[in-house]
Amino acid sequence: MVRVKSRYLLCEINVSDRRDLLKLDDRAVAGSVKAAVARTHGDYGAALCSIRFCVKYLNAHTGIVFLRFHKGFYKLLWSALPFITSIECRGQIIPCFLNCLHVGGTIRTCQKFLIRYNTRQLHQMLPKYKNKVEEKRKIQEAILSCSLTGGGNKALEDELESEEEDDE
Amino acid sequence: MSAAKAKMREKKMRNQPASVQYPSPSHVESRAENGGEGDDAGSRTTLSISSGTSVTRAELTRILGGQSDAHPSWKRQQTPPVRHGWVRGHHNGDGGYDTEMPNHITAGAFARARAAEVSAMLKAATELTCSSHVFRALPKHMRRRAMSHNTKRLPRRLRNVANRMREKSLQAGLKKKKELVKSKSRKARRRHGNLLLEFNRRQRKNIWLETHIWHAKRFHMVKKWGYCLGVRPTYKCYRPCYRAMSSHCLLQDLSYYCCIELKGEEDKLLAALTQLTCKEAGPTFAAAMFLSGARQGSVTVYRAGQYPSDPLGPVTFLWRPQTPGLTPRQLWIWAHPALKQDLLPELQSVCQCSEAMAPPVEPEVSRAEADPSPQAEPNPDNELKAGAKRKRCCKDAGEPPAKRILGDGTRLPTSPVTWRSSSTGIVINDLTMEIVRYRLIGPQSHSVLAETLEAATVCDELKSSPFWWPEHCKDRSNMKLHQQQTDVFNVLKGIYSSGELPPGTVLGLTVDDPRLTLPRQKVKAAPCVNRDQVGDEEKRNQLMLKGVPLQCCQSFLWEQSVRENVTDNKISEQELNRMRTELLVPGSRLGPGPQQGRVPVLLVHQPGKQVGDELGSWGSGWDLLLPKGWGMAFWVPLVYRGVRVAGLHMSLKHSQDKAAPHFPHDYPDCPAGSRFQEEQEAEFLETFRRRPPAKRTNYIKHGCLAPFRCPWQQLAEEWELLATDGGAERKGDGQTQKARKSHEVMEEVTSQQTVAAASPPSFTVLSFLGHKFHKLNCIFLSAHQNRKSLRLLSSWCRPLTCRGQRRGRGAAVALPLSDSAVTSFHSAHKMSVVWVRLTLLSKGKPEAHAMVCAPTAEDLKLFGKSPENCGPQEPPHKDHYKSRINHKKKSSKTATPSQVSDDPTASTDPHSPSDLILGLWPDPLPSVTSHCSRVTLGWVTQGDFSLSVGRGEALGFVSVSGLLHTLLRQPPELRGTLLLRNPTSLHYRFVRLNIDV
Repeated sequence: MVRVKSRYLLCEINVSDRRDLLKLDDRAVAGSVKAAVARTHGDYGAALCSIRFCVKYLNAHTGIVFLRFHKGFYKLLWSALPFITSIECRGQIIPCFLNCLHVGGTIRTCQKFLIRYNTRQLHQMLPKYKNKVEEKRKIQEAILSCSLTGGGNKALEDELESEEEDDE
Repeated sequence: MSAAKAKMREKKMRNQPASVQYPSPSHVESRAENGGEGDDAGSRTTLSISSGTSVTRAELTRILGGQSDAHPSWKRQQTPPVRHGWVRGHHNGDGGYDTEMPNHITAGAFARARAAEVSAMLKAATELTCSSHVFRALPKHMRRRAMSHNTKRLPRRLRNVANRMREKSLQAGLKKKKELVKSKSRKARRRHGNLLLEFNRRQRKNIWLETHIWHAKRFHMVKKWGYCLGVRPTYKCYRPCYRAMSSHCLLQDLSYYCCIELKGEEDKLLAALTQLTCKEAGPTFAAAMFLSGARQGSVTVYRAGQYPSDPLGPVTFLWRPQTPGLTPRQLWIWAHPALKQDLLPELQSVCQCSEAMAPPVEPEVSRAEADPSPQAEPNPDNELKAGAKRKRCCKDAGEPPAKRILGDGTRLPTSPVTWRSSSTGIVINDLTMEIVRYRLIGPQSHSVLAETLEAATVCDELKSSPFWWPEHCKDRSNMKLHQQQTDVFNVLKGIYSSGELPPGTVLGLTVDDPRLTLPRQKVKAAPCVNRDQVGDEEKRNQLMLKGVPLQCCQSFLWEQSVRENVTDNKISEQELNRMRTELLVPGSRLGPGPQQGRVPVLLVHQPGKQVGDELGSWGSGWDLLLPKGWGMAFWVPLVYRGVRVAGLHMSLKHSQDKAAPHFPHDYPDCPAGSRFQEEQEAEFLETFRRRPPAKRTNYIKHGCLAPFRCPWQQLAEEWELLATDGGAERKGDGQTQKARKSHEVMEEVTSQQTVAAASPPSFTVLSFLGHKFHKLNCIFLSAHQNRKSLRLLSSWCRPLTCRGQRRGRGAAVALPLSDSAVTSFHSAHKMSVVWVRLTLLSKGKPEAHAMVCAPTAEDLKLFGKSPENCGPQEPPHKDHYKSRINHKKKSSKTATPSQVSDDPTASTDPHSPSDLILGLWPDPLPSVTSHCSRVTLGWVTQGDFSLSVGRGEALGFVSVSGLLHTLLRQPPELRGTLLLRNPTSLHYRFVRLNIDV
């Protein structure tokens, strides 16, 4: 198939104060990426960064962000990401840095990677946690909730039902 | 993004996770540009995820604590709050960070945030994002043929879904099928009875002629004037039709012409009808020639007592010849259907016929009134009602349920067709669709008639019979008359061309059923060549000089009872075929046939070209009048005699070649004509607007002010103004006038203003003199004086030194063209336009609404040097409105309303830019006469390459004042040379002006 190909960068935003993370929004992230690219690669980089660049997803709780770049020059743009030291958002400057976890050709691979990454983190967390029983139970619940048990089929049926409702 | 597209996108994106963040007021609008997902998609995700997590907003605000200065509008995913402190991505959960911020240990929250994200991602990654069908969930290599039909071919996990989908689609299919059930099978629909019902249903909107089915199979049909009429055949036949008209015979069904019958005392009828006409306008209803019934007359009808203003249109009329026993006279007025709605009330008012007489079928009518829907149900009573008024059926019980509608199917059976006057005793009878009228055009039309028709055979039986003919045979005088008519008809066969007869001759006849003599193959009727008998020669000359003797003009077609008898007792086609099968020798001719097959007909001669010098009596022919119901019985035999059949298109061309005005097209002063002009304008405008603006003709650039409708009124007014102004100046110097005009051309805007300024007085002038407008419309119908002045005008139009040209009939007595003569002529015919014929002198094909212009002196000089040169060019005009339209487009895209009102052009512009159409002048037209470099005199209403002349020919109207003004300035040897320019061209062509008298 002929299509415009992209690279999706799955990055993690690391901040010193966890609460600052909640203030983030995708526009601010996009702005700071653009600024960093412009700073490191000049006008050329800024121009490249205006082509098909987009923040596809941002989770302000976990600090996960999906960045989409054009495939042709994503390496150039990627090289500017380490120069991001702060993100200005809602009038506050949040010191942070971006840590790239995965580079994918489709958003789907990034999502799959993120699933694996998160579950691994949770699984690593569980045995080492010994302080409180209650907290431990919560983690267990979380791990259980994110496992797939025949969810796909069920979801598909839900979808169909909702479609039917739409029709009527 | 369109609604469907948005819906599609929503469907596609609903599984995708939305960004999880706190929106800020400034942030909201940026969402669309940055984030790919719509808000709706996000909310869906929220729902699905929040079911897994149990965190509420209260909990979140509690955790966020003091920093929740502005309450974040919680509209995204409700993931639990995370713990505070420095967090690295790959932390191993060793609690190292926890020691840094021991107050906020929220490992559970951290875990839940991860878990929620994981489930969102799982959903996005595993579920279908496309606008999916179940089968697309399968990879390609697992797809199988006919999976949608047989769900067992699917993997088990998808089967349930697929089954549900299938049921759904089946239900949808059922719904559709239910709707389709209504229409029957083709076989059922085409069954005779059902077909007839369907036809009857369709006939209730527009009247069908009796030959409708025949025409509908071969012609492009249009719905016009309440009828379904054929315009032109589907096959190519323009030239063959012309050849048929000029050398053989062309057939048209003119049954859509409306016949109105007037009955009453002769003097009372004439007294009423003289209000509609005037002796000045040529022979009227009272002319002795027509009154005797020997000729058919034609006349232009005006509103009562309004002559010469308010014309209604042209009609033809025919008096019934006086019979000794019968005192009340009978008159048929044939009018175009577009004219009927104006004519009928006018006739009723002049005859004081206000009492509507109930239609003849009383009992059934009362029942029809009670029945709300007397429509096409297979109920025999209802059908009887619909047909009964037209066709008196013998009230058999064994009648077929559905009967063909004969005559006018659109009219309610209760609507009156007869009006009676108590004071004068005149009865007006609307015979629309009661009489079939066929027109045969061409020099051989009499031979076609002679071959097709055969005088009725006399029957000698003395028994009484229900049919009319045996009864009539008993009367000696009837038989004598029939013998005379037959003789005349036989003599008619021998004449050379239909044009040789006196115009309007009428011949009554009774003929056999023409289906009996139908040839087995189509033949071409040839003229009868044996003209050896001396007696015949004499008779023929008599016929050609004097026309048909008066007593032979009588026909039983005039009798309503006979018409009805003939219509009811027509032998069906089926019966005829049965009789043919019973013949001893197959294929031989049927005998004289049963006694019901005798039809009274009227043959009316139709004059051809009567004006002008060339091609005299071109396009003459016969009209065949038949009783209702016999249409197809005569049509097919006529067609089998090798005639061409033509539609409306050809009748327009016929009158164009005759240089005669065609009824609704060339009568812009009549109400029907103006209606037609409006329709035509709307139609042209519609086709014009349908094209993309870049592909349209820019009529402004071509200097064409009125490409779709000719503003006659404005033309007449402007020329009136110019003539009155010029009259004063003319005495001093002709040059000043010219200079003034060129000045006008140069400064278009100023002239526009002067016209605008002068328009209020000219309007009053118009209302006073409006009656003169188009007064000379129909030349050969105009009065003696008018005819005289037309002759004068016609002689002035001719070049003087051209010796080869025969001098016109009136030219010998004409005054020479001089100032004084022109002034007197002009004062007599203010505000009038005249019907002219324009012949192109070089190549070129004139089109409708082409401009007739006056050449300048230089043009004439050029023309005098080399008559074959092509003519001058119009310099292209500038389209001032184009920029305005463009500006409007731009401003509507970007600017706010305040900016538009600031625009200086918009504020000064009298026309709002919204009703501007690219390439057309907005409505208050500037001066039409002096818009181009050549002064406009008039416009063409019909123009085409004329096959009879071999050149382009155009017919149109020219302002009389303008014409006189131009003629005075032309050198005598080039007088009558004008310029013609098509609306889509910049090229002027030289034309010769002819006013045919």
